[in-house]
Amino acid sequence: MAMALFYLILLFKSTPSDFTTDVHKHTHKGDKGYCSENDWLESFTVIRRLINNGFHRELVSHVQCAAAVPEGSQVLLLEKLPQGVYVDPYQLTSAQEHSDTQCLCVQVLLASEIDLEAPAYLSSGFSALVYASLDPQCSGCFTTTLPVHARYHRPAGSGEAEQRVSIESPRLLVRAEESTLPLACPQNKVTEAPCTAQNHSLCVWLEIHYQQELEAVSLQIPVGDQRQVLAVCTGTLSVTLLCCCMILGAVWKHGHFQL
Amino acid sequence: MAAYLTTDWTSAFLKKRILFSTAFLIRIVLVFYGVYQDKTMLVKYTDIDYHVFTDASRFITQGSSPYKRATYRYTPLLAWILIPNIYLTALFGKLLFVICDVISAYLMYSILHFRGMGSDKACRYCALWLLNPLPIAVSSRGNAESVLVVLVVATLYYMENRSLVKAAVCYGLSVHMKIYPVTYALPIALSLQTLKDPETEALGNKASSLLSKRIQKFFSRLLNRDLLVFAVIAGGTFFALSLIFYSMYGWEFLEHTYLYHLTRRDIRHNFSAYFYMLYLTAESEWSLALGLAAFLPQLLLLLLTSFAYYKDLAFCCFLHTAIFVSFNKVCTSQYFLWYLCLLPLVLPSLTLSLKQGLGLLFLWFAGQVSVPQCS
Repeated sequence: MAMALFYLILLFKSTPSDFTTDVHKHTHKGDKGYCSENDWLESFTVIRRLINNGFHRELVSHVQCAAAVPEGSQVLLLEKLPQGVYVDPYQLTSAQEHSDTQCLCVQVLLASEIDLEAPAYLSSGFSALVYASLDPQCSGCFTTTLPVHARYHRPAGSGEAEQRVSIESPRLLVRAEESTLPLACPQNKVTEAPCTAQNHSLCVWLEIHYQQELEAVSLQIPVGDQRQVLAVCTGTLSVTLLCCCMILGAVWKHGHFQL
Repeated sequence: MAAYLTTDWTSAFLKKRILFSTAFLIRIVLVFYGVYQDKTMLVKYTDIDYHVFTDASRFITQGSSPYKRATYRYTPLLAWILIPNIYLTALFGKLLFVICDVISAYLMYSILHFRGMGSDKACRYCALWLLNPLPIAVSSRGNAESVLVVLVVATLYYMENRSLVKAAVCYGLSVHMKIYPVTYALPIALSLQTLKDPETEALGNKASSLLSKRIQKFFSRLLNRDLLVFAVIAGGTFFALSLIFYSMYGWEFLEHTYLYHLTRRDIRHNFSAYFYMLYLTAESEWSLALGLAAFLPQLLLLLLTSFAYYKDLAFCCFLHTAIFVSFNKVCTSQYFLWYLCLLPLVLPSLTLSLKQGLGLLFLWFAGQVSVPQCS
């Protein structure tokens, strides 16, 4: 009864901009034994890779659990992407529509509108909820693919040819049958988030800590050299003026002028 | 014997019916190949613009504005024309663009034929457009450039035939769809001026050769019935369309269809000579002055070429577009089609030798290839 009232209060609480609502820890006496039995929640590893080259990449996350995962579990990655990259919502929609067999189904929920054309210095970071799908290659494995695109950055003032954009580690959320998830244990962080990328309803998810195999992924983006601005302006304008004069000369010489 | 057979075979191939049917067939095959590539390969055949048009049409069918689709920077007319993409088949747009492509080649053929060229020779020049991989790829991938090409070539065709009303409607439509044909206004106006009467001209020359008098005479020759009819109908078409769409979609329509292109300063890499300069000075206070410095050579050249070559309207328009594209602050690969479509009309009167022609072509390709390497 107390739990039901508790969740009712939650329903009327407004959700912040990243779709999730943290639920306050609710201590429950006498569950200590139950709380320490869930080893599988502590055996998660996340391997992240940024594949492809250039401005258009794919962020592949591989979530693995060393122990057996209960049937029907779902995994959600809460990504916080920096201003240096963006995600194309139209590309995601068409990928979902065509259910591409090349990349495993892309299920992503974006929290805010994204300007596809703005440079990095006029954009801000944003959140994305990436719903993982079961990886058939191993049991207890989940995988996600998020197509990201790099934004154009300000030219570098100190001569660096490239700028590094790091994508921080995501928050890992897990959902399973109510009885198998120790939602009430004091050490576990409970969060509310949409059940699927279609965002029809909210579900209760458990945030868990995981081992990350490698350092945070990053991409190098080529930038221009601000120190060359005078040379570039002079060079460009001289060449275009020269071409203009050449064409003017040719037209003046060969044109049929009649006034 | 073999040489004779080869010439016979090629000339048979270049016969009008076979040439046009083959060109049409190649484009249709590529449209269907595109469907296959989109389904099976990672790199899609269909251009991203085609998806933008289709999404915008979808918004219209849902009763809202096509500008809800981000990066849709075209006239609503295009989204309206592509509504069958939603109700009939997603391939409707591509088929329409392919048909417009072949029609524009037919109009080029008609212009050359009207000028007195034989059918076979005219076909040879039209083959430059019909069998050219660039327009074939552009139309079958779903870019809407061929709609504009057909309107521009139709304007020139009707001007040759002196069907001024039809020319004016096509011209007004073309300016509505893309801004660049507005540069053709001066050459068209100059070509519609009253022809000088040799007798009065001789008298006039004796009387006074003052510049002011000559300018006065020039303007009086310019203001004649033909020009007024053209101006009123072209202007009327353009403003009527603008008014209709403004009443439907408001300020958004003006902003995305016209203002964006006029003030466009794309810092993302493209073929323009000014790209790197504009990228480096994007946030500087010199940005406006540099933009103006880039615009003035363009303007000056366009003015001069109008007065120099208005007698041959196709050549003048070709020069206009080539200058406009080359000196523009933004240049993407589709822009090249804008002057490529006029090349078949211009080539017959060129006196370039084959060696010079091939040399220029090589330079053009070298420029195209070197840009992606440098950026």
